[in-house]
Amino acid sequence: MNYDTTTSPVLPNSKTGSKPREKQRKALRIRMSGIKPYLYLLPVVLSLGFWVYRPLVQTFQLSFYEWNLLPTSPKTYVGWQNFENLLTLPEMGNALKNTLIYTIGVIPFSLILPLLIAIFTDNIGKRSRNVYRALIFIPMIMAPVAVSSVWRWIMHPTNGILNQALQYFGLDEPIRFFTDERWAIYSITFITGWKLIGFSTLIFSAAMTGINKEYYEAAKIDRANRWQIIRHITLPLLSPSILFMSMLSILFASEWSFSYINVLTQGGPLGSTTNIYYLLWQYGFQTFAVGWSSAAAVVLFIGFGLIALGFMKLSKRLSFFDD
Amino acid sequence: MSMKKINASTLFKHAMLIALCFLAVFPLYWMINTSFKTEGEVFSASLWPKHWTFDNYIQAWNSIPMARMIGNSMLVAISQTAAQLLTSILAAYAFTRWNFRGSSIIYGLIGLTWLVPFQVIMIPNYVVISNLGWKDTLTGLIVPNIVSAFAVMQLYNAFKAFPKTLIEAARLDGASDWSVLWCTIVPNLKASISSIGILLFITSWNDYFWPLLVTNKLEHSTMQKGLQMFMSSDANMWGPLMAATTIASLPVLIIYLLLQRQIIDSFVKGGLR
Repeated sequence: MNYDTTTSPVLPNSKTGSKPREKQRKALRIRMSGIKPYLYLLPVVLSLGFWVYRPLVQTFQLSFYEWNLLPTSPKTYVGWQNFENLLTLPEMGNALKNTLIYTIGVIPFSLILPLLIAIFTDNIGKRSRNVYRALIFIPMIMAPVAVSSVWRWIMHPTNGILNQALQYFGLDEPIRFFTDERWAIYSITFITGWKLIGFSTLIFSAAMTGINKEYYEAAKIDRANRWQIIRHITLPLLSPSILFMSMLSILFASEWSFSYINVLTQGGPLGSTTNIYYLLWQYGFQTFAVGWSSAAAVVLFIGFGLIALGFMKLSKRLSFFDD
Repeated sequence: MSMKKINASTLFKHAMLIALCFLAVFPLYWMINTSFKTEGEVFSASLWPKHWTFDNYIQAWNSIPMARMIGNSMLVAISQTAAQLLTSILAAYAFTRWNFRGSSIIYGLIGLTWLVPFQVIMIPNYVVISNLGWKDTLTGLIVPNIVSAFAVMQLYNAFKAFPKTLIEAARLDGASDWSVLWCTIVPNLKASISSIGILLFITSWNDYFWPLLVTNKLEHSTMQKGLQMFMSSDANMWGPLMAATTIASLPVLIIYLLLQRQIIDSFVKGGLR
């Protein structure tokens, strides 16, 4: 950014003109300029209104109907029946359980490891830090489909480099990472986490460099040991970033895993990798049960909103650490 | 006494970071490595191709309409980025330039769209696209994505930090609101705007959900969708698959190679989505 603040002296607004005609003209100009901001906002408001809020309302509506997505077939009003069905569908419980596994499974990659790495690698030389940063960040910019393709090759049961390496170190039988129902969900969780780990490490390192080093000096003078410093200074000061990453991770982990599920396992084997997002997709575009999909979407959206609200409340309460 | 201790701890730090880098970079390296191996060598664990070959690239290029899909992806990503930048520049200007009724509500509603998962709104949007006859068209890929709430919020922050005195000086010179925006603010914020633009381009290039829904034929699809179809078509062509994956990742990798510092900074500042 290259603006130069020194060249522009602030001139006081000259307040003249109290004649009635001038006042009228001024009033018109004010009224005209009253519309202006709305005109500038129009494209954004119209587009988001049409492509986000309209479909959101329609999803709520569709959740009370039975429909198969065909424009020619009628929509039948079924009341709360879709929601009642959701409770009894066996896939639903399974999908919710898997959603939980994804959400918890990603936390080591999005929070625990990045925090540890950020804390223990503080104060590293600037040049080497830039090199590390650039490399660590690469998974973040790669496309989910490309990531799936590469990991599928690396984790291939017979020819993949990972199984070859594991067998070299004494593994008897190759692991079928994506087709063995005991492994598949963890393989997908790992890939989802792998994409995130560099990003969150950088978020935490950035927050670490923002911490005033005088706190550490003061703590050392008070003879605090390393663990006490981390526990009572570093972690509290990092809490806004920790909260931010927890929110992202908890809200979006299972959504991010969608592409990997769709490309690598299609929810299988035996439904072992389906999560709630993938179920929405299957109901909507494979079994064409629009009502079920919409009802599940409504439940998901409300749950989602409540979690987000909780996090916002929490971050307000903790925000005094910011200073 | 502390000399040795410092060395041990720095060594530990570097070891930890090198391990993380290895984890992050290995898949990329393995993809490129495999893509240049001959058919006979693909299944060996050699860390470097013994005989470099472009056969995999040629085979991948010939088995799917690669040029067409790259063109589509480029067109979609560039027009989406341009449209998203334009709409969010206008919106950020409105929010920072004037005080008007409802501004915080509108801003809130824009921000809240961040919380709406794609899967929750996909069916109604799909119905609209197919009613309009936009399935399998680039219009159908682009139009629903001409606004990015993320870009509005990022640009809002950049615009808010812009010195008011400069705007007032331009106003005193008789510049209209429109020319204040395009002749004073935008040229001065070129750096922030372009780094947000790069982020938008990468996001759009990598997008997979929407092309998956809207397009069926490979000729009308984007590179990401094409790669997925290629993957499911033949399970054992690992060389060509890695070549296709490399091609699909290339534009983003080149941009990253040139501008990695800005990209990392704006990701860390702006978050995801």
